[in-house]
Amino acid sequence: MADENDNERMDDNQKSDKMFTLKKWNAVAMWSWDVECDTCAICRVQVMDACLRCQAESKKDSYGKQDCVVVWGECNHSFHYCCMSLWVKQNNRCPLCQQEWSIQRMGK
Amino acid sequence: MITLSQRLKRKNQNEDTSTPNRAPIRDRLLVKEAQEMSQLLPVSCSIHYTNENDLSKFTLIVQPTEGYWEGGTFRFDINVTEEYNMVPPIVKCSTKLWHPNISENGEVCLSLLRRHSVDGMGWSPIRRLNDVVWGLHALFTDLLNFEDPLNVEAADQFRHSKEDFKLKVMEYVANYARE
Ligand SMILES: [Zn+2]
Ligand SMILES: [Zn+2]
Ligand SMILES: [Zn+2]
Repeated sequence: MADENDNERMDDNQKSDKMFTLKKWNAVAMWSWDVECDTCAICRVQVMDACLRCQAESKKDSYGKQDCVVVWGECNHSFHYCCMSLWVKQNNRCPLCQQEWSIQRMGK
Repeated sequence: MITLSQRLKRKNQNEDTSTPNRAPIRDRLLVKEAQEMSQLLPVSCSIHYTNENDLSKFTLIVQPTEGYWEGGTFRFDINVTEEYNMVPPIVKCSTKLWHPNISENGEVCLSLLRRHSVDGMGWSPIRRLNDVVWGLHALFTDLLNFEDPLNVEAADQFRHSKEDFKLKVMEYVANYARE
């Protein structure tokens, strides 16, 4: 809904001032991409925080958080290692882009 | 809904101190997803919990406002198992209907609900209950598919005579899907 309105507005503006509105539209697109990258799409917790499972299981264990690392696939999508290792057992594809899953790097 | 989610949060806190939770991930996801689902519900749908303290079992009622099944009330029993969200919810249609993608026994053919998919269209943990609701709702409109039917007889009938198909749908609605 909002996108359609924006496009209409952009069309109107394009007639008068093309350069300015295009710049604005780019900025909006960049922002939503960043948000998507930082959240683990499987458990919906920020990848820099411990995953939902670790949060639930190691409530009293303050070291639990250290073991919960981030994993990046060749497709550049990132997830908690805990979350992804559960998923690849049944389907070895990235849940976001459906590409064959192979690990590019791990860490924090 | 705000009160429901508050009550759930309270309930979860209580459980943390007493009994260990058997499905902590599912239950944590459900608190968020149940709220999202109710906020984004299609107008022709409603959700009913068997036990309002258990978000894992509910009934989705779809009352299509267009298409062949218009005027019917269709119930889907949804069970979110403990392995959620690594596996899709189990869905059964408890209203008998004549539909190419739903068997007369209530099995539902929706790619999203397939646990093991070969084509990448099946379940994925990035899906949410809201996607399931919209998928089931769309079986009566956009996702209606005569090409890969579960009820082969219904699909064949449609191919031969759309009028006969329509009549049989209406007969089933009149007999089984009145509110
Ligand atoms: Zn995660
Ligand atoms: Zn973890
Ligand atoms: Zn990917």
